[in-house]
Amino acid sequence: MLRIEEHPILTFDKSKTVTFTFDGKEIEGYEGDTIASALHAAGVKVMGHHYDSGRPRGFYCAIGNCGACLMVVNGEPNIRVCVEPLVEGLVVETQSNKGDLV
Amino acid sequence: MYLRTGVADKELVVNTIPSDERRQKGPYVFIECYQEIPCDPCTKICPFGSILPMDDINDLPRTDYDTCTGCTICAAICPGLAIFIIDETYSETEGTVGIPYEFSPLPAKGDVVEAMNRAGEVICDATVLRVNPNKKRQSTPLVTLVVPKELIMEVRFFRLKKNAADALPEVDPYDEENLPDSTVICRCENVTLGEVRALIDEGYDNVDEIKRISRAGMGPCQGRTCRPLIMGEIRRKTGKEFDEIELGAFRPPTKPIQFEQLMGGEEDDN
Repeated sequence: MLRIEEHPILTFDKSKTVTFTFDGKEIEGYEGDTIASALHAAGVKVMGHHYDSGRPRGFYCAIGNCGACLMVVNGEPNIRVCVEPLVEGLVVETQSNKGDLV
Repeated sequence: MYLRTGVADKELVVNTIPSDERRQKGPYVFIECYQEIPCDPCTKICPFGSILPMDDINDLPRTDYDTCTGCTICAAICPGLAIFIIDETYSETEGTVGIPYEFSPLPAKGDVVEAMNRAGEVICDATVLRVNPNKKRQSTPLVTLVVPKELIMEVRFFRLKKNAADALPEVDPYDEENLPDSTVICRCENVTLGEVRALIDEGYDNVDEIKRISRAGMGPCQGRTCRPLIMGEIRRKTGKEFDEIELGAFRPPTKPIQFEQLMGGEEDDN
């Protein structure tokens, strides 16, 4: 579990769970999560692969700037999952190329 | 000096100290806000109007010490953690300083902590008198320390006493031995430190040249991560100082968006 349990200022509401799938596997997160935070908390550290070398890419800047967490969400490629809110029933897949539109 | 070090010197501090008479009357707020920035929550939150309204949002806060009760509400809301609550009437020889503290774990009442001055140097031991975690309001906890009176205008932060067993080994992250060639410098384009080192050895000694050859800095973040790292490596290898190394062209990070968003204006035109 990689969630912050104790924070000097903030408290986290975990009353509502949200279910989504990651590469076909069902995963639970909480309302208010981003896709990336829910995945990371579930132990998913590899969010994609470099388009050329294939090296793994993980959670890095977490604010939508670095482009390390691009994934396919509901069939749409190149979604920055660190700034994409988690919604019930999302289908999330890892992406290893530059993204296919069709 | 302040702009260079970030440490307020005496001249700045004495400007806003209240009168001796007021200091003997009880707790008061002391705002250590010395740089004009667009920020004004303190002026809006004070229930007594003691932090005077600003003409311009960039103004420095001004305090009406006659109406201030030292209630601590402003200290908890200041985003810069620049507001302290000082009480010089605690005892003959001691006073208290309320310090906004955003770290875990919080100290407990009665703990002895290491009090620090504005420069972060430990200057004395201090006992924790109160901790207001303010859990309900999700705001900054205020830790009140008892300190010798002569240090009341010096103590502005503290740290918990170090437990020798918890101490982490000190590692210099910039020590070359800790940076193997396989270290990824540009995450977007997967360029390693070894590749950057080889290019510098070949004589490429500025960010833009290394960027054009290796693609380091051409990915989605446009060099946000790798530019300083590459500059550091150029500095290490060539002995040039940072201000002698060309920064290269800055471009904004790229963000994937849908065509739909670009074409959204079409409907309005019709």
